[in-house]
Amino acid sequence: MELRIDNLSKTYSNGIKALQNISLVIPTGMFGLLGPNGAGKSTLMRTIATLQEADAGSIVLGDIDVLKQKNELRQVLGYLPQQFGLYPKISAEVLLNHFAVLKGITNKNERKELVKTLLYKTNLYDVRQQNLKGFSGGMKQRFGIAQALLNNPKLLIVDEPTAGLDPVERNRFYNVLSELGEHTVVILSTHIVDDVKELCTNMAIINQGQVCLKGQPLQILEGLKDKVYKKTIEKSELNLYKENYQVISERLFLGKPTIHIVSDMNPGDGFSLINAELEDVYFSEIFNTTNLKSN
Amino acid sequence: MWYTIFKFEIQYRIKRPDTYVFFLFLFLFSIIGVDFIFQGSEMGLMKKNSPIVIAKTMGAITGIFMILASMIMGVSVLRDFEYNIESLLFSAPINKKDYLLGRFLGSFAVLLFVFAGILFGMMLSEFMPWHNPEDLLGFNAIVYIKTFLMVTLPTLFFGASLFFVTGALSRNLVVVYTQGIILFVVFMLTKAITNEFWQAILDPFSLTTTTFATKFWSALEKSTQELPFIGALLYNKLFWMSLGILALIYGYKKFNFNVVKEKQSKRKQVEKLVGKSTSVVSGIEIPEATKQYGLLSKWNQLKQFSWFYFISICKQASFWGIVICGMIIILINSVNLGTVYGVDSYPATYFIVEELKETSIYFFIIILVFYSSELVWKERGAKLDLIYDATPISSFIKLIGKYIGLNLVYVVLMLALIGSGILFQTLSGYYKYEFQVYFYGFFLEILPFLALYTCIAFFIQSVVNHKFVGIMLVIIFFIANVALGLFGFDHDLYFFGGSALGTYSDMNGYGHFLKPYLLIKLYWFLFGILLLIIGSLVNVRGTETNLMQRIRVSKNRFSKPLFKVGSMVFLVFILMGSLIFYNTNILNTYWTNTKATEFRVAYEKELKQFEYIPQPKIVDVNLKVELYPSSRDYTAEGYYILKNTNAQPINEIHIQKLIEENITLDAVTFDGGAIENNTYASYDYTIYQLHSPLNPGDSIKMNFKQSFTTNGFEAGNSNANIVENGTFFNNKDFPTLGYNRKYELSDRDERSEYNLSERTNRANRNDVKELVNARSGSDSDGIHFEMVIGTDIDQTALVPGNLLREWTENNRNYFHYKMEIPMIDFYSIVSAKYDIKRGKWISKSNSISKQVDLEIYYHNSHEYNIDRMMMAMKASLDYYSTSFSPYQYEQLRIMEFPRYAQFAQSFPGTVPFSESIGFVLDIDDETDVDMAFYVTAHEIAHQWFAMQVEAANVKGQYFILETLSQYAAMMVLKAHYPKEKVQQFLELQLEKYEEGKLRESGAEPTLALVDNQDYIYYAKGALNMYQFQKVIGEEQVNKALRRFLEDWNTTNGKLKMNTNRYATSQDLLSYFRAVTPDSLQHIILELFESVKPVEL
Repeated sequence: MELRIDNLSKTYSNGIKALQNISLVIPTGMFGLLGPNGAGKSTLMRTIATLQEADAGSIVLGDIDVLKQKNELRQVLGYLPQQFGLYPKISAEVLLNHFAVLKGITNKNERKELVKTLLYKTNLYDVRQQNLKGFSGGMKQRFGIAQALLNNPKLLIVDEPTAGLDPVERNRFYNVLSELGEHTVVILSTHIVDDVKELCTNMAIINQGQVCLKGQPLQILEGLKDKVYKKTIEKSELNLYKENYQVISERLFLGKPTIHIVSDMNPGDGFSLINAELEDVYFSEIFNTTNLKSN
Repeated sequence: MWYTIFKFEIQYRIKRPDTYVFFLFLFLFSIIGVDFIFQGSEMGLMKKNSPIVIAKTMGAITGIFMILASMIMGVSVLRDFEYNIESLLFSAPINKKDYLLGRFLGSFAVLLFVFAGILFGMMLSEFMPWHNPEDLLGFNAIVYIKTFLMVTLPTLFFGASLFFVTGALSRNLVVVYTQGIILFVVFMLTKAITNEFWQAILDPFSLTTTTFATKFWSALEKSTQELPFIGALLYNKLFWMSLGILALIYGYKKFNFNVVKEKQSKRKQVEKLVGKSTSVVSGIEIPEATKQYGLLSKWNQLKQFSWFYFISICKQASFWGIVICGMIIILINSVNLGTVYGVDSYPATYFIVEELKETSIYFFIIILVFYSSELVWKERGAKLDLIYDATPISSFIKLIGKYIGLNLVYVVLMLALIGSGILFQTLSGYYKYEFQVYFYGFFLEILPFLALYTCIAFFIQSVVNHKFVGIMLVIIFFIANVALGLFGFDHDLYFFGGSALGTYSDMNGYGHFLKPYLLIKLYWFLFGILLLIIGSLVNVRGTETNLMQRIRVSKNRFSKPLFKVGSMVFLVFILMGSLIFYNTNILNTYWTNTKATEFRVAYEKELKQFEYIPQPKIVDVNLKVELYPSSRDYTAEGYYILKNTNAQPINEIHIQKLIEENITLDAVTFDGGAIENNTYASYDYTIYQLHSPLNPGDSIKMNFKQSFTTNGFEAGNSNANIVENGTFFNNKDFPTLGYNRKYELSDRDERSEYNLSERTNRANRNDVKELVNARSGSDSDGIHFEMVIGTDIDQTALVPGNLLREWTENNRNYFHYKMEIPMIDFYSIVSAKYDIKRGKWISKSNSISKQVDLEIYYHNSHEYNIDRMMMAMKASLDYYSTSFSPYQYEQLRIMEFPRYAQFAQSFPGTVPFSESIGFVLDIDDETDVDMAFYVTAHEIAHQWFAMQVEAANVKGQYFILETLSQYAAMMVLKAHYPKEKVQQFLELQLEKYEEGKLRESGAEPTLALVDNQDYIYYAKGALNMYQFQKVIGEEQVNKALRRFLEDWNTTNGKLKMNTNRYATSQDLLSYFRAVTPDSLQHIILELFESVKPVEL
């Protein structure tokens, strides 16, 4: 089972080209979709999740034509949107039960068992009778994943699930996610590189509606092997370095800017070679596509 | 600083479409505002733009649409919380005062803009083509502006303050919606206040206030005078404005400008929750549950959904607020039920149900409009829509689930109302609960109505991707549909929802109205399901909101099962439609208003030439009538004997069949033969050319057979005379002679539109042609009457006359009646299942002792006032036969008939008496006038004034017939009840007279020349006759009446015979003059021949 996206395009009525000829093949396992805010990740995810129409192209999961056979896809889909709310005045158990009915689990006993297990799994069992009004961000996300798993999905889409979670909650969330992925196509969209690094076997980076890189994280890292150099500089020198080098990232370290550059050979000048991180790949790709556009 | 916020608020609202939608809505509504608010009420002399009319209309529109104010003002602060920017705002360096003031003034300015729509709309309305210039004063913009400032502005200020504060404090959108209802409840509460002054002060929309402020104005003043902005009106406005200010102050004090504090409790809870769930759970196998998508599974989903949404509404405090308000209102309003002549009826269940329906409909509509939008927007409101939309749930199942959920909510409210109804009955000591009547009233009448409109609301909300616009469109649909009905476009096939169910009667239940009603409701319900299917296909699923796009992809969403259901529903819908069409338009003829009007015009234009052609008079009626109540049919077969009372021979006889489709007239034959001339057959008017002319003084026998056949059902209201239990019709349904004035168009404007000359109701007192008629187009000067009548085995059939024989044949009851003395040509035919109360009265006057059989035929369980009626019969016969003349018949019968009509009417020796006016009155001898007694006495008086003496069909006719009956009945009342009761009765009459005067559009006539004004011949007549007897003495008046009756007796009166015409008010007054001393002669002029203010 794999998800195949071919030449998918979408232009919004205000002229924004959200997706431009996106083609991806996503096998079972965790797939990380990385990209900055506004890159088109959510549009892509929503289109796969049958929530949005595409202008052109096709999406196929196994033998399901996603754009046409929406209901067939929905039967095997688990979806956790980027932002969602919960009815404040009902309990986790009641709402999860309601979602189970939505997903066609109409046998009462099976449903009860399933809901119970998922609440255990996501660590919400103790609070199952509390009103959802009191749920924290992390609990909410875990509830979200619980509902997405109700119908034992073949395709699971989680859109920026860790945004706004503290590290502990994020870990907890990873734990839940990591147990899936063996028989399921899991698409995880995020702008946090660590999410992909820790979980995904395959990944793609998209920016400005286009795929700029796809592959396995380890292979991708190969491409930058021995090409990333680092230097800590003064603030005033920043522009100078930007003119002379391909600066892919800059960050503050103890109040001073530390820059990463990509170079085929050792630039000397106080730069030191470092092991490329996924983050460097990400920044360099973003750097490239953005510069291409602006030139 | 507040100014920045004020500006921000305005700028924000300027960009929002709802601001303009609201404005436009009020603007458009106000164009028809006056007509809508005053529809159906007599305006009398008041013009459509009289200041008082403008004030009432503005007050009412403001009141009705207070809900808009609530939407505008309520969301002002709430919005910041909805968008979760409160923490940004409140941490900014603004203070509470500036924030609240800016927001309040900003939204209030927008509110004024929106409600200015009323001002401009009403101004424009004056220039609309449907207004007759005669109904208008000259245009005066100042009146509108002034009224807007005086009436609307203060109300708005109060509403704005209240809504702003509740919105800001509750931070709950539904509370914002429902607070309009609370204000409405307050308005209803004020109606229960008996003190007029306080009622005027406390009415939030100042409707009763304007009435109170102008209470003592003459009709002319009301028409032109500007409203006095002093006294009650001023106090009212000051009162509500200060309440508004109080609300603002309270809100200011209570409003918490500190986000964290409010959320503290929540945070604690969260910490507690988090603390419980730190351990990592892994290695749990998730069991795989069976996923089912078949029909059974859909059914289970539907059940779960309906319940889920139902519970979600039940959890809202605002819903229970509505329920409780509804129950309270009912308990207040039910105090006066079925009030007739100031006396309340027993709290019979159907009265309660009617009252409940009337007052609760507003609540139901609010629930319908707002909760339907709430439900359709529920997932989007909670931002859960994407999760829902990505599941394989069928959009149709989801929509239907919500639909059923909302209908369950109606049921809860209904059960609550029924509960309060039963509570009210119990508290009043009435224990005949009749649950089936409750059930019918709510579940057969209101629920289908709501269910249908809910389909519309769901459809609109599904298609329109804007909540408020959707709400507005639903309301517009409501109004448009009502308007459509008013304009006469009311065929059940295209008038949404079909006609209302006919009146419930204890005697006849819903009778034959029920079946067509249910069929038509089913037809519309199928239509509603189609709408829901379409709605579910195009509703927003996912993030695609563009309507065209949604319509484009809807075909992908049309699943096979849904298609099957849809086609089935469509097919049955078409079948039902055909069935209804077959019944209403093929088995019966459907008349549009225009067609009916044109028919009347043509009738008059073609046939008016025959109005006064010489025709013979009916002198003998002998009929065999077969009534079939269960199938609603009858046949009447027999003959009239017609006598030529004219001076010249008659060659042709003109027969008018009643223009009603169910009726056919066959086998019309004349002795000696006649040729049928069918030139006017389209008007059911046939001219028979006699083979040999009918010479003066000669008679001819006319045989005929008339049949009434019910075929299927008709559109709209069907005939309520021939019913399953309680048939009541009179001989006007049988063939008549010559032209019938009753078919003429009577509306003045319509007549001029069709170039018809002006028409007066009654001819002048010296009109020679009408002086010889006792009724319009009179066919007779008195008849001999005999009838054999058959009816169903369980019913009793009654017509005038002595009952000669009674037998059963073919499992039917037969009765043979014959009137031994001549009687007027006016007889009723009544048949129903009856209980009978019998009595006897023996004449005390005269030498001949005569026995009269007294009978009251009443519906089982309506025995409450039978004794009062029986007493009234005896007392009346005693008084009238001693004071006026002997009673002429050998029996006197009262027969109850269903409440489709609300009157009692006298026929020779028989008085059909409506179910609703006397039989079920709950008369408290302490506080009420015994109206069952009085009405009976009045009707029996007609046995003298109508049966013994008839009056010419000219102005003043009802002075003789009705006013004298009022006088006679009052004298009986006076003889049997204490003075205070008579006084109370007179006060009631004065009230009725004053009310009637307000509705009068022409000049008020004198009693002697009264036309059709019941407030004069009943109310003022009673007052003036009472005054008259007080001045010259009861005995003197009776002496005059005695002489009058003797001279003008229809069959043997000296003057009647000599003059060959009927009596007029002029004749009557001459008898009054004769018994009045010279010194008091002026009083006759004052009381009867001039329009002098009445005093008690």
